[in-house]
Order: sequence, then structure tokens, then C-alpha cells
Amino acid sequence: MRFLDGEFPPDEHVRMEARIAASTELQRELAIFRAMKSDFRELSFHPGTLQRSVWDRVNTAVTRPIGWLLVVLGTLAWSAYGVYVFTLSPVDPWEKMATGAIVIGILVLLASVIWERYREWLTDPYRDVYR
Amino acid sequence: MGASLQPELERELVRKCKSGDARFYEPLVRAYEPAGLRLAVGMLGNVDDAHDALQEAFVKTWESLHRFDLRRPFGPWFFQILRNHCRDVLRSRKARFKVEALDERLEARPAGVEFSPERARQRSAAKEVLWKALEHIGEDHREVLVLKELQGFRYGEIARILDVPDGTVASRLFHARRALREALEEMGVDYDGEGPGRD
Repeated sequence: MRFLDGEFPPDEHVRMEARIAASTELQRELAIFRAMKSDFRELSFHPGTLQRSVWDRVNTAVTRPIGWLLVVLGTLAWSAYGVYVFTLSPVDPWEKMATGAIVIGILVLLASVIWERYREWLTDPYRDVYR
Repeated sequence: MGASLQPELERELVRKCKSGDARFYEPLVRAYEPAGLRLAVGMLGNVDDAHDALQEAFVKTWESLHRFDLRRPFGPWFFQILRNHCRDVLRSRKARFKVEALDERLEARPAGVEFSPERARQRSAAKEVLWKALEHIGEDHREVLVLKELQGFRYGEIARILDVPDGTVASRLFHARRALREALEEMGVDYDGEGPGRD
């Protein structure tokens, strides 16, 4: 195989050529593998003509997590500060309870919608379709 | 190795990427994309799966860059990740390599290369038979053939990608070619002399 693939050092290549010249069986085997190799080379194609590059999708995948991380961290920081200010504010307790109920209600609704969309996404047959 | 970047430029790009700047990843992706796609198509059998695998492999490579040793070449390391990912894909979908139809996109050839209709027909038929024969050989055999014949890598390069000694590459290639030859013979292709299968 090394001879066929041109991977022998020159001196070994010459020795192998001499052995092949002396053996019709080796000549036959070599001819068969050379023909196969030649046909296999024909399989090669030129992906440049496939046009669509994966770079856009790769770029999205490698940069988006950083954006999400910053959004989540910023939101958490503001939320914690908001809760802190809200808790210490001098308003009546019933106002705090009513406002808290609205905020918690919205969060529960949001979480249920996200959960629903996530479950749909898991079984979506078109989720891998490139647009 | 499979890319058109100068080694120094490539090392500098990887160094920038390691520091987290994704802008410098684009030239690397574009340089290794053609060879990566050829490898993925050869391992998975179709262009669409290969595109997905290639994208995933580039993302995995980015995420693993902090472990990359800058003294080593980037190419073999990337192709190793891509090859492992293709094997994972084949296992996860519990399906064998399968060419459903000869994709016309694989017929593409560089500008300026024209074949007569008869030559084009022969070329297309030979390709289809070979793709089909690849279905009938083992994964290890297929990948070493793809690396050698489709990619044109040398033994040393294949050894680095597969993480095996040079001698193992030669041995695998020998067995792979024998297995392919048997598969082709079973399909009626006769390489021994002027057989009817090669007209």
C-alpha cells in the first residue's frame, strides 16, 4: 500500500519496483488497486460549488451564548435590586401584596408558555431545517 | 493540511481565537470548510447531514480551543474533532452510512473542467457504484479510505487525525481496499482485467 500511495522512501521504492517487475501476480494486484484508486479519486468533489457556508450558523452559535449570559446576568442584578427596593419601600403591605401577586402571576404565565414551546420544540420535525 | 492558510498566520488566528475573539475564527472556518465537508460527506453519506456535522464540529472546536496546544498544527486537531463528531452522529441516529441518491451537488467540478456526455455518464455511474460500495464496508475502513482518497492526506497526517501509528494506517488502508474490492466484486464490478463492470 505504501508503494501504491507513493509513501516509500526512494531506495525502498526502487527495490519494490524490481520485485514487482519480477512477479506477474504483484503486477496484477497493483494494476487492480491502481484502477480502484483512480476511480475513487473521481469521487472527490469541490465543496466550493456547494455555495452555502456554515460560517453564519457557527458565528451565531459561538457568539450568542455571550449575549444571553450578559442579558441574564443584567436581568438578575436589576431584579434583585428591584426586589430589595420594593421590600424596603414604605408603602402599605396590601400594595406590596397586590403588586407581588401581579409580578408572580406574569412570571408563572411566562414560564408556562416557555415550557410549552420547549416541549413542542422537542418533537418539532422541522427544527433542524435551515432557513 | 486541507487548508490554504500559511502556518504562521494560522497560528496567529488560533491565538486570537483562544483569547475569545470570534472575529478571527471566520478565516479558519472558511479555510477548513471545503476539506471538512468532503470528510463529513465521505463519512456520513449525504451533504445535508455533513453540513450539520461540520457546523457542530466547528462549534465544538471553538469551545475546546482553550485546551489546544499552539505548538501543534490546527488541521489534524480539527479533523480529529470532526471525525469523532461524525462517528457520534452515526451512532446517535443508530443508522448506517447510507447514500440515498447520488447527490447532484457531488457532481460539481471546478470551472473549466468539461467532460463529453459519454464521459460524464461513465463518471457518474462509476461514482454511484463506489458510493454504494462504501455502504458495505466497515466504519473504520471507510474513514481511512475517505481520508486517503477523497482528502489526499499522507499517512502521517492520517495517523495524527486517527491518533494511531503510521503502520496502523498502512494496515487499515490495505484491509479497507480489500474490503472495498470485495464489495465492488459482489456488485458485479470486475477490476481484474477488462471486466464488464468497468466499461
